[in-house]
Amino acid sequence: MGYGDEGFTIYDLQLWAEGLGITLWVFAISMIIGITIGIGIGLVRYYRLPFIGKLLMAISEFLKNSPVLVQLFLVYFGLSALLQIELSPNQAAIITLAANTAAFIAVIVISSIEAIDKKQLEAARSFAMDEVTILKRIIYPQSLAIAMPMLVGLLINQLQVTSLISVIGVYDLTRVGDIVNQRTFEPFIVWPVVGLTYFILAKIIGIIGSKLEKRFGSYRMMQEV
Amino acid sequence: MADFSSMMEYFPEFWEGFLMTAEVSIYSIMGSFILGTIVALMRVSGQFFMDRLARIYIDLFRNIPFIVLVFFGFYGLPEVGVYIDAFWTGVLVLSFAVGAYVAETLRAGIMNIDKGIIEAAQSFGFSKIKVYRKIILPIALTTSVRPLGSVFINLILTTSILSTITLNELTSVSKIIASETFRPFEVYVFIVFFYGVLTFILSGLITKWHVRLNRFASEGA
Repeated sequence: MGYGDEGFTIYDLQLWAEGLGITLWVFAISMIIGITIGIGIGLVRYYRLPFIGKLLMAISEFLKNSPVLVQLFLVYFGLSALLQIELSPNQAAIITLAANTAAFIAVIVISSIEAIDKKQLEAARSFAMDEVTILKRIIYPQSLAIAMPMLVGLLINQLQVTSLISVIGVYDLTRVGDIVNQRTFEPFIVWPVVGLTYFILAKIIGIIGSKLEKRFGSYRMMQEV
Repeated sequence: MADFSSMMEYFPEFWEGFLMTAEVSIYSIMGSFILGTIVALMRVSGQFFMDRLARIYIDLFRNIPFIVLVFFGFYGLPEVGVYIDAFWTGVLVLSFAVGAYVAETLRAGIMNIDKGIIEAAQSFGFSKIKVYRKIILPIALTTSVRPLGSVFINLILTTSILSTITLNELTSVSKIIASETFRPFEVYVFIVFFYGVLTFILSGLITKWHVRLNRFASEGA
């Protein structure tokens, strides 16, 4: 099929592997940063630090109610123009994805902490446990069990969002698909292969996630008994 | 520093993009709702083959990035002799992708319905289609309408990806204006406002729909 194409070569496989590597790398880095900041925001909100909490929630609303693609443009073209700094596509991608993830993680953190029975906290305080110990021994293990399914869902979702970074010029899996497609004119092979790769990655996250859910879930059951 | 004063003179262009985004959203919301309803009914039909088919559809469309689906549709379909423009490719792919989420949301609503109600309707001799249309869907919607609302808000935000297949909607228009004015920061902040207007209107409509669907519900429910 196609015209002027030379079919697929072994080089395409190498490109695919490189794209996969960049997708995974950007995903991993931005998730680690996003989860860390998100937990921070969640805790700040939970302990009701004045002003900062409100500001962070406003930013988080902004991130959740605008397209990620526009956020990518805003960071890559907008922020660099406004602040007169140079950002590489990869840096812009990581900043945007991490900020986005942080906004969602913050909500997950707050809702899972609030799901914990308040009487346990009162009991712990009446035993004169300090706040750090309460956080470590009571809030953390239980909220993690509650948050786990939401976290897995978010990670699978954010994996798909990484495909957008191809638009600002990151050489990820989707960009590789675009390049190979333009050379071979075989969209009916290229895009299903790219799609299937994301599909398998999502499934792997799902499987790992449900294993973790079971582990933390059983821990939670033990606690309740 | 940021300077938004030059944005107002581009208002007509932004407005065109806004209308295009609104238009593609409206068609896709209808498309995904119809498709999602069919798939949700396949899921609860109790027929093994239908259920399996619906599951595969939902699994695929929820786990493959939208941009990959769009590229497949836009570059792939002409290869098999299907020539449709960017607008209808967008509507088609959005309907399929979001339909998967609609199906799962509706299914959850249907599973929540008291089985007795359905049995009662069947005992009145209603046809299967009538039971679905007059009883199951309206009741399922009373609980699913809010989650459906967030699915559709996501749909509106997803339309921005159609800028990659040359559709002149908000994001695409903004890219052009940003390159003309050299003020990318202001332009992109500005269009977030337009997306905000769209999602605000939609969530208003969803709230109205929710109230309407629940008009027979008792106070405590």
